[in-house]
Amino acid sequence: MDLRRQFQKHRKPAVVVASGLLFAVGWVAGYGSGLETASATLMVLAALVGGYDVARKAYYTLRSGTVGINTLVTLAAIGAIAIGEYWEAAAVVFLFALGTYLEARTMSKTRSALTELLEMTPDTALVRRDGDGGEASRASKSRAGSPRDYVEVPARDVEPGETVLVKPGAKVPVDGDVVGGESAIDQAPVTGESAPVYKRAGDEVYAGTVNQEGALEVVATGTGRDTTLERIIRRVEEAQEATAPTETIIERFATYYTPAIVALAVGAYAVTGNAVLALTLLVIGCPGALVIGPPVSIVSAIGSAARSGVLLKGGEHLETAGKIDLVAFDKTGTLTSGESTVANVTGFGVDDETVLRHAAIAEKRSEHHLADAILEAASGPSGDSAPVADGGAVLERSTEATGLEPDGPAIPDPDDFAVAAGKGVLAGHDGRRIVVGNRTLLDERGIDVPDRVERHVRDREEAGETAVYVALEDEVVGVVSIRDELRPAAAGVVAALENAGVRTVMLTGDNERTARSVAASVGIDDYRAGLLPEEKQRAIESFRDDGHVVSMVGDGINDAPSLATADVGVAMGAAGTDTAIETADVALMADDLERIPDAVGLSKATRRNVAENVAVAVATVGLLLAGVFGGYVHMASGMLIHIASVLLVILNGMRLLRY
Amino acid sequence: MTQIEYRVTDFDCPTCASNVERTLAKTEGVDRAAVHYTTGRVEVEYDEAAVDDAELERTIAKQGYTPRLR
Repeated sequence: MDLRRQFQKHRKPAVVVASGLLFAVGWVAGYGSGLETASATLMVLAALVGGYDVARKAYYTLRSGTVGINTLVTLAAIGAIAIGEYWEAAAVVFLFALGTYLEARTMSKTRSALTELLEMTPDTALVRRDGDGGEASRASKSRAGSPRDYVEVPARDVEPGETVLVKPGAKVPVDGDVVGGESAIDQAPVTGESAPVYKRAGDEVYAGTVNQEGALEVVATGTGRDTTLERIIRRVEEAQEATAPTETIIERFATYYTPAIVALAVGAYAVTGNAVLALTLLVIGCPGALVIGPPVSIVSAIGSAARSGVLLKGGEHLETAGKIDLVAFDKTGTLTSGESTVANVTGFGVDDETVLRHAAIAEKRSEHHLADAILEAASGPSGDSAPVADGGAVLERSTEATGLEPDGPAIPDPDDFAVAAGKGVLAGHDGRRIVVGNRTLLDERGIDVPDRVERHVRDREEAGETAVYVALEDEVVGVVSIRDELRPAAAGVVAALENAGVRTVMLTGDNERTARSVAASVGIDDYRAGLLPEEKQRAIESFRDDGHVVSMVGDGINDAPSLATADVGVAMGAAGTDTAIETADVALMADDLERIPDAVGLSKATRRNVAENVAVAVATVGLLLAGVFGGYVHMASGMLIHIASVLLVILNGMRLLRY
Repeated sequence: MTQIEYRVTDFDCPTCASNVERTLAKTEGVDRAAVHYTTGRVEVEYDEAAVDDAELERTIAKQGYTPRLR
């Protein structure tokens, strides 16, 4: 029983070896010792052993109403035996069996980029399940890392909302939010980031990432097949399965090629009566390298990109990405980190403290990202400056971190509050009217801006900051300037693209002066400021109308319309946003701008690779046809050239795995 | 209607994969079959009353390939 299973497992290589040995012995018997009959018998045996599976596949292929390479090889082998060409029959079958075996082996290597990802998720998880229903109060007292409260269950059986313990050195089994503990996490499997990312209460962790330092308590948000890693894998597979335009053309060609060659073989036999010629045509009748080459290149490229945290929607987008000649960047959150901090508060007639405090009261209920910066600054030194990564000590101060309440002065609620979209906020507090916003809002409300305030604002904006006016009782009392730091990689990425001959443009809703300053410091000459989302989209349209192949890089949510309009929409930081993974043409799992020139380079390399493979395939077909009719190529040599060309294109495509 | 997904890692050529797809689709009780050569993924939607997964696996195996459940 066991022996049989072993045989089944290694059946294919065993068949190849057996057929090869029979062929070799038969060859020696025939040419070395002149034992013609013995040799012929061994050759037929070699053909039978190697050809059994081929013939079986041919039978099923015929039954499904098509002619495939198995059919052709079977016919050729039977024909060769019929006319007494035993040597040719055995050689064709043996080489074909060897070729398909190697082909399947190398193809599965091509798919391995993905199988590696699949194996990232651990099979089991440590889940807190007390079973007495009243666990909440008791559990909150237990410290992270006391394994007695936890049971080990299959990772896919964890329910969202359950608490999972992730020990140091273990893989995270679910997507979830950290509620206790602190640690550095290696997110490379999901985002491609090489440096570990520090996680503490409130941060999101992904299944398949590796906990490097301290124990973490994680409340599951996604488990089983509903995790970011699973979505990535599904997305990558869909991408690899989608056929690129080149492939569609080739497949159409292939459907006609095989019947045409069969017809040619029949015709050639009818005219010349040369059986070997006709059978040789059958052997080379499958355009193997042609149909395999382009998919292998594209599958390798998509797999290779996925490993470095870049998801490509499909071969079609890969082909388009190779032609990009203009990249438009969104500013906030793309070229900049998107994490705004208050850089300066200046009071005019009142002290700075009062300005910030009133700005904070007015912004308290706002959801704008600038409001967060103001509130954070107003609530004083927050917990953000806590020391990073200190390994084992993490266990000791875990659970307290969950009730995060900043220790600065409490900001009172405004009595009333209204948002002026894209301009600012209006609020009332202690019977006084607070206006916090941009110049447009002040002008609308008829609030005068004194010259010295205006000069101050201009200075801040020229330094790349966003200045927000604060007015009390319709009188300007100060300015809060907010800085959004440039990503360190931004300037290098712009330079790399420009060097590669790609034009760069910055599109932003921010004001002219801030935009100019940011554009200048990353090295972009062409910027468009003060744009509403639909104006960004129109800008992309106009670039396309000018004949550019346009890529837009943005955050995937606010910039969704522009990303959809561009030839290739690139979404940043997609790991946390499911829609970006599902919809963007290119999704960067991490906020890593440097992947963009890499992805463009990979796309160009892929286009080249596909072209090389098509060239090899076409040259092979031409060479074989010329050789067959010229009398240089016979069945065995035809098969040898055929499988060599197939393996060559696969190996060439696989080079992209290491791009 | 039940859905099942297999991995086949030993397809010999793109045509072989489409043959498996065609044969599966013609099997009694199978509503939809998709076989992807590039990823080796086999998706089948079938009616459990008319055909079982063992039969689907046999159909794939008979063509000379090894189906594995994911």
